Amino acid sequence: MDPVTLAVVRGALEQIADEMDLHLIRAALSPIISETNDCAHGLYDPVTGETIAQGGYGLPMFLANMQFTVQRLIPIANEAGGFREGDIWICNDPYLSGTHLNDVVLVSPYFVDGKLFALFANTGHWMDMGGSAPGGWVPTAREIHQEGIIIPPLRLYENGKRNDALVAMITANVRLPQQLLGDLAAMTNVFAVGRRGLDALIARYGVGTLRACIDEMMRRSEAEMRSYIAEIPDGTYRIEDYFDNDGVDDTRLTVALAITVSGSELQFDFTGTSPASRGPMNISDATTRSLCFVALKHIFPDVPVNGGAFRPTQFTIPKGCILSAAYPSAVGGTTDVTQRVVDVVFGALAQAIPAQTPAAPFGTTGVATVSGRHPRTGQYFVAVYPYPGGYGASAASDGLVNGTPPGSMAKFMSVEMSEHRYPVRFRYFGIREGSGGAGRHRGGCGTRYGIESLSDTLVSILGDRVDHAPFGVQGGGPAAPNNVQIETEGRLWIPPMRSKAEKLPFGPGDAFHLASPGGGGFGDPLDRDPTLVEADLNGGVVDLATAEAVHGVVATVVRTILDRPVYRVDRDRTQERRSALAPAPAPIA
Amino acid sequence: MLKVPSTPDDPSRGLIDALQAAGIAPSALDVILHGTTIATNAVIERRGARCALITTQGFRDVLELGRRDRQRMYGMTGVQQPLIPREMRWEVEERLDHTGQVLVPLDETRLRALASALAAEEIEAVVVSFLHAYANNRHEERAREILREANPAWEIVISSEVVREYYEFERTSTAAVQGYLQPLVSRYARNLTAKLEQMGFDRQTLVMQSNGGLVPLAQLPGRAANIVRSGPAAGVMAAARLAADAGFDHVITGDMGGTSYDVAVVVKGTPRIAETTELDFRIPLRLPMIDVHTIGAGGGSIAYIDRGGTLQVGPRSAGAVPGPICFGRGGTGPTVTDANAVLGRINADQPIGMKHLARLDVAAARAAMGALGQPLSLDVEQTAEAILTIVNHVMARRTRLMTVEQGHDPRDFALVVFGGAGPLHGAAIMREVGIRTMLLPPHPGVLCALGCAVADIRYDLSRTVERPVLGQPDGFVRDILAGQHRDGEARMRASGTELEAIEVSHAAEMSYQGQIHTLRVPIEPSWTGSELVAAFEAVYRKEYGNTLGTVPVVIVSLKTAVLGVRRKPVMAVPTAAAEGATPAPRTRRPVHFGRWIDTPIYDRADLLPGMRFDGPAIVEQSDTTSVIEPGMTARVDAHTNILIEVA
Repeated sequence: MDPVTLAVVRGALEQIADEMDLHLIRAALSPIISETNDCAHGLYDPVTGETIAQGGYGLPMFLANMQFTVQRLIPIANEAGGFREGDIWICNDPYLSGTHLNDVVLVSPYFVDGKLFALFANTGHWMDMGGSAPGGWVPTAREIHQEGIIIPPLRLYENGKRNDALVAMITANVRLPQQLLGDLAAMTNVFAVGRRGLDALIARYGVGTLRACIDEMMRRSEAEMRSYIAEIPDGTYRIEDYFDNDGVDDTRLTVALAITVSGSELQFDFTGTSPASRGPMNISDATTRSLCFVALKHIFPDVPVNGGAFRPTQFTIPKGCILSAAYPSAVGGTTDVTQRVVDVVFGALAQAIPAQTPAAPFGTTGVATVSGRHPRTGQYFVAVYPYPGGYGASAASDGLVNGTPPGSMAKFMSVEMSEHRYPVRFRYFGIREGSGGAGRHRGGCGTRYGIESLSDTLVSILGDRVDHAPFGVQGGGPAAPNNVQIETEGRLWIPPMRSKAEKLPFGPGDAFHLASPGGGGFGDPLDRDPTLVEADLNGGVVDLATAEAVHGVVATVVRTILDRPVYRVDRDRTQERRSALAPAPAPIA
Repeated sequence: MLKVPSTPDDPSRGLIDALQAAGIAPSALDVILHGTTIATNAVIERRGARCALITTQGFRDVLELGRRDRQRMYGMTGVQQPLIPREMRWEVEERLDHTGQVLVPLDETRLRALASALAAEEIEAVVVSFLHAYANNRHEERAREILREANPAWEIVISSEVVREYYEFERTSTAAVQGYLQPLVSRYARNLTAKLEQMGFDRQTLVMQSNGGLVPLAQLPGRAANIVRSGPAAGVMAAARLAADAGFDHVITGDMGGTSYDVAVVVKGTPRIAETTELDFRIPLRLPMIDVHTIGAGGGSIAYIDRGGTLQVGPRSAGAVPGPICFGRGGTGPTVTDANAVLGRINADQPIGMKHLARLDVAAARAAMGALGQPLSLDVEQTAEAILTIVNHVMARRTRLMTVEQGHDPRDFALVVFGGAGPLHGAAIMREVGIRTMLLPPHPGVLCALGCAVADIRYDLSRTVERPVLGQPDGFVRDILAGQHRDGEARMRASGTELEAIEVSHAAEMSYQGQIHTLRVPIEPSWTGSELVAAFEAVYRKEYGNTLGTVPVVIVSLKTAVLGVRRKPVMAVPTAAAEGATPAPRTRRPVHFGRWIDTPIYDRADLLPGMRFDGPAIVEQSDTTSVIEPGMTARVDAHTNILIEVA
């Protein structure tokens, strides 16, 4: 294989997928796609379904999920007469295509001289798919039907002609039909962008060379992934973490993971994970596997994204557990469950490769939605506020504040724009002081915000991590857990499921107060540089009691600016206190 | 042409040094035009002023929180460093709603107490950013008065004066950048003015901004944030002007130096403007700037074989130190420059800009190429060619993305390449992207300086309105635009610059209701609602190929650009011409284009208007080396640009 052609073709294929991403992000009506890039585009092998290239702008969550979806769709299409020119398939069945009903997948076959060469696929988050709560986050859903309509794998286009009956069935069952039509058109148009790019590449290199390059790319990505795995010490690394509840029954749910490294193979075993929950805290196995790759890519960011990189891994995910949902389990908790998969992969690998692996991030996407009719326009609206939170600290640095979940790149809406669009008012939006896990490197703080409704609305919240805080690693402390408070008719209360509440009727002046978790700490807090502790004190993100007790510093107030104290850490006395506090050196585990 | 070292302790001295080195008496000059990187460097290296930030109660952390993101898509490490740390961010009671109506009056008592407490601190600037201040700036204005009373020496920045648009994080960040830079830039302007006065210069000094326009030195402090990244903007302005004079109004500009490749797009003679630019992680600047995209591909980009066995180039760079292997400063990673040296494309015997060595160490570069290529079964020359092919493709892809993502066909554009390394690679980029003509300016290595000379004075005004186009009262759009027009003209008059004309243009940021991304639509103040909608739909169709039918159209903001056209000296055009003549090469040397070819080497000074020659050819001059590939033809136009086409 000519090394230059290979490098050039690889870049060109990635460029095609990138151009598809950018096109949809700019053309979509759904703010979730255009503002938060909640979409993905790629090119897949028509026989194996393996990822040839995937765009670099879509959400990490879909990293491997797209491949698994395409792999499941291929036999279904073959049953139905195979892929034909002018077809576009549609599907949102989460047991098949992963994540949740709002993520709609389209697949378009690409032919060269009448022969199927590849499959283009994309996914985009549509704002509403019907169901009992707007936006699809139904914290008390007990079956999928409460979350919206299921579109099984079907030909949306046949022979280049759209099946308008199918479209009418869909639009009749959703709350924002006009927006859905716009997003559907935008997603369909994107395939033309992809075809144009691939046409040019085939004209230049021919099918034979292109095919050979693709096979070689896969082989090399696999080799690259294997080289990273081979550097992880062999062994089995176990961790258990827990969800507070499923929103229906107040019992905790276990996520158990054992990662076994042997040579250049990696095995993820989720045996011991709780059986399917009655509520919506379930995800499909495709999504579980995808999020394992997301975690790996956060640890090894240089691994290329194609099917080859996914080859040296194996999965054991017990059928019907919360990480391999089956009909009719509700899956709307996907935003939370997916993040926890990343957390446990971090937690397991932190035992093996602490220098590369961060502590747990905030771990709950905690989506709050406010919906109703806008008093000014009479129009139906759904405002979606997904949690930001702190990142876990690592050997490299403290944790970030106000991070987006590791499986996402979605941003938080501007406060001012929110107030323009929806009848809401932010009372505050700030760093949640003291919420980062202590450590040599401190976890990032969580975020706190309070949103007041200005008219009659319905508020739903779906989060977790109230009872089980994000963990620290290498001696670092846990972060502050999640906290949700509801304020109705002047009274503050905590929902029975702590961070899950569905369709609470709000009137003008009612509000909710969210305080998201921080990230876990890394390393012994007594090893934190006293200068950094002083900065934490002066910035108000660590209080004096914690600085003294946990970090072992001696600090005094040297003056105040208005009502704000200015601290100085006494280095000598800190040294003394730390020696007194430090336990005798433990043998290396 | 002259270069002098910069003087970081007092940057204003650099300009004076340059005048002295050139032996120019300032009193003999009509105007001084210049650009400066002091603002860019101060932000990136965090060497700006110590500031305080005052926000609405409850929103102290907006500046640090950003909008829920992370630095890179993959990788969870790293934190941001806000320009104003939390300990210097303060809150006061006050609140407006989105229409600008006062919900909570400004707590002046608390603000006074805060101001007097801050007066005792070592703070140079105070930034005030209140929620919805773009809709009503009364509270911010009042806060400024109170702060000024507390300490008249402070530089005070209010967000509504810097950006009259919504998005609290972006506006606060922009105001913070302004506050962070204003003391530094004020000092610079004061020092420079004083030095020039001392030297007897009493005319105007104009400074380049990142929107491609100039601002008078006297107004510079208030526009400190507007000069961040003005260097790349100046290069684009110059390239656009040279191309326009040569008859090309659709232009892609490519500036390649040691570590990066900057690409920008010029449509109908006008560089594309970006509304927001990220200066660093979580430091957006919401000011109109020429949209320049940067990728890590330059002469110093290092080639390596990745874990999968694939050859890759960059983005890691050897930088200036240790630099490429052939520079002999201790570099060990084979770079793009090493590949050019091995292939004979750059002159190893007369290296450009090298004072410490008489000759490039080609033998060492060859050895490194050999070692790199060995596992790939490539010989030395094949390895060097592979490095160039790969880096050229990386640049070509970014070049293509710049046009395609805006709905243009790159084949309709001419390519202007510049920067020290640009002309070495332009031919390959042109070939890859499918561009028909490439223009090599007379002095590609110092194009940014020319940008100042061709630029005009420019003020951009913008205001968020966020409302449906249809159903607004008569004259709603016209009145806002007229107000912006008046403000811009007033500033123009205050600049005291002699102008040939004032040009005013208007635009609206528009979208379909519910969309986040807006499109910039050129508009006229007299247009009716339906004319505005039609103009939006035309732009939308051009960008996306379709429209969204009956979805209502929204005006997000209204914008006015006021351009003061300066009288500019006509650029000297050489009178000597040699229509159709073939230049005589100074020498020949073997250069590798797939194989070693005995290639003519021209001196740029010998190339007169009208001359023609064919590739392969190398053109050498003091600021760069140009490569014309086999199968390409070159001609010299009346302005002494070299125009290159694929034969």
